[in-house]
Amino acid sequence: MKAIEIETLTKRYGQARGVEDLSFDVEEGEIFGYLGPNGSGKTTTIRCMMGLLRPTSGQCCILGERIVHGKATQHRRIGYLPGDFRTWPGLTPRKLLRLLARLGQWRGRPGLASRRHLADGRDQGQDALATDRRQEELAERLDLSLDRKMRTLSKGNRQKVGIVYAFQHQPDVLILDEPTIGLDPLIRQNVLDLIRETTQTGATVLLSSHDLSEVAAVCGRAAVLREGRLVELAPISKIVQQGQRRIKVWFLEGSQVPELPADVLPGVRVIQQNSNTLHVAYQGTVDALLKWLAQFPIDRVTTPETSLEDAFIHYYRKEGNHES
Amino acid sequence: MKANHRPPFPWLLLRFWTLRILLAWCSIAFWIFLFQIVVCGIVHDNEKVKVFIQYIDMLPSFIKTFIGGEAVHVGNIAGLIAIGYQEPFVLLLYMLYAVGVPTALLAGEVQRGTMELILSRETTKTQIYICAGLITIIGMFALVAIMFLGTVIATHLYDFDQDVPLYSFFMLAINGGILASTVGGIALLAAACFRRSMAVSITVAYLILNYFAEIVAEWWPRMKWLEPINIFHYVNNVTIFKESAWPVWDMTVLITILVISTVAGGVIWSRRDLPL
Repeated sequence: MKAIEIETLTKRYGQARGVEDLSFDVEEGEIFGYLGPNGSGKTTTIRCMMGLLRPTSGQCCILGERIVHGKATQHRRIGYLPGDFRTWPGLTPRKLLRLLARLGQWRGRPGLASRRHLADGRDQGQDALATDRRQEELAERLDLSLDRKMRTLSKGNRQKVGIVYAFQHQPDVLILDEPTIGLDPLIRQNVLDLIRETTQTGATVLLSSHDLSEVAAVCGRAAVLREGRLVELAPISKIVQQGQRRIKVWFLEGSQVPELPADVLPGVRVIQQNSNTLHVAYQGTVDALLKWLAQFPIDRVTTPETSLEDAFIHYYRKEGNHES
Repeated sequence: MKANHRPPFPWLLLRFWTLRILLAWCSIAFWIFLFQIVVCGIVHDNEKVKVFIQYIDMLPSFIKTFIGGEAVHVGNIAGLIAIGYQEPFVLLLYMLYAVGVPTALLAGEVQRGTMELILSRETTKTQIYICAGLITIIGMFALVAIMFLGTVIATHLYDFDQDVPLYSFFMLAINGGILASTVGGIALLAAACFRRSMAVSITVAYLILNYFAEIVAEWWPRMKWLEPINIFHYVNNVTIFKESAWPVWDMTVLITILVISTVAGGVIWSRRDLPL
């Protein structure tokens, strides 16, 4: 079953572009990357998925239900982390998280709510208690104090509160807009682990980011947006392979490093050249390059991993710049 | 596709917002209550009344006109107590609540970035609007109740040489409450349409225009046509005290404006893309 379905989604802000004719699906239990530079339309898509924006045309469905603008469709089953997580500065994370967890439930307190049952048969009181327990666990895992006022927290700690908020009610679908922004590498890794663990229990994650390495670390597939349009929808391994690959050649001591023949090796460019090393980037197959190198006395060859930045730039470069 | 179910009403949001504005409400209620006690404390004593009227005579004549005009004279206790209901300071306090609360709750949360969090939970936009509307209108009537309570307590604290027509004051308070709620409705409409600063500016500009239209219409006979188009015209203490009857027409006009502005605000709020 598809957890998220986006069908020919277009959102325009007057004359300004938001997103144009987007279509993609996310399978249940999948971690799906949503990549794009700033202003490419990632947040617009996510806000349409959350029913916060009204699409100009097209539709979004989550867990089989069509999203209706402003109607909180499936919100009980969605964990959402906005790109810019802002809160009431006078609240502590504990109060904030409890408020948000219980918003829209029949009663505010678990004890009072126990007589009410959720549509799927779960007891709402039990649900609230489970949320509280999960909140504590997550805070401990992320090394977050829940009892300091939000205004006293650093940007990274506020982001941790946002992560607890998204995960605390054990949602079936997680929509995370730049979740690791402002986090230190250790906590960042923790969050990526948390995302992986969540999908092991059957949840689906849409991870929006402009950091390809982060998406490559956890996602199976990804969509790449550029200027509001989908430019790639593929397994992450394919996306990572895009762009230029690299090869570094050490020539034997005393031999001359040869000049690259541009006519024989189109698409190969020199990154760095020393007295006995040549570091080049190439596109396509390495066959022609290796055949040319075979004429020279070579000590050794290494193939550094494809740079994620290169792959990223490959997609983000505008058409006009692409040729150059 | 499954049919969309309606989430339960967000009582917790209502409670959260109520607690957020409670301090402001209590401060406004305190001053309004105190003002009624002070006014009654002054006007129950003829000597003090004379001094008080001298003070009022010192004010610009348009203010005197606005707070009762000819009704403000020694011996007319009801007219003098009614000053506490119409004095610009009291009106300012009411308008502070009527304008400040809906704009802080709707446009303010949008501007702060917290509306996105509220909307990401099981809460519809319409429910959020209803919460803001309830807090505005119930809060306004609670202020009116405090004002009337102030008058009732003051009439028990001080001796008056005439009967104080409390029932007429009750009618005036209800009429005033509807007027203030109408302003709240207009502020809700503005908050649903614009950013906070713009919403406040538009509502305050509307009130100032109405205030001066009322004064100009009272002063200048050729401008009488302005009377029916300003909302302050629909609270008329002279009629209430003279006829001791409910001002049904005035209340109907105000309630109509309240309903139209509130419903229009609700429709715009639920359809509009918020600048999150």
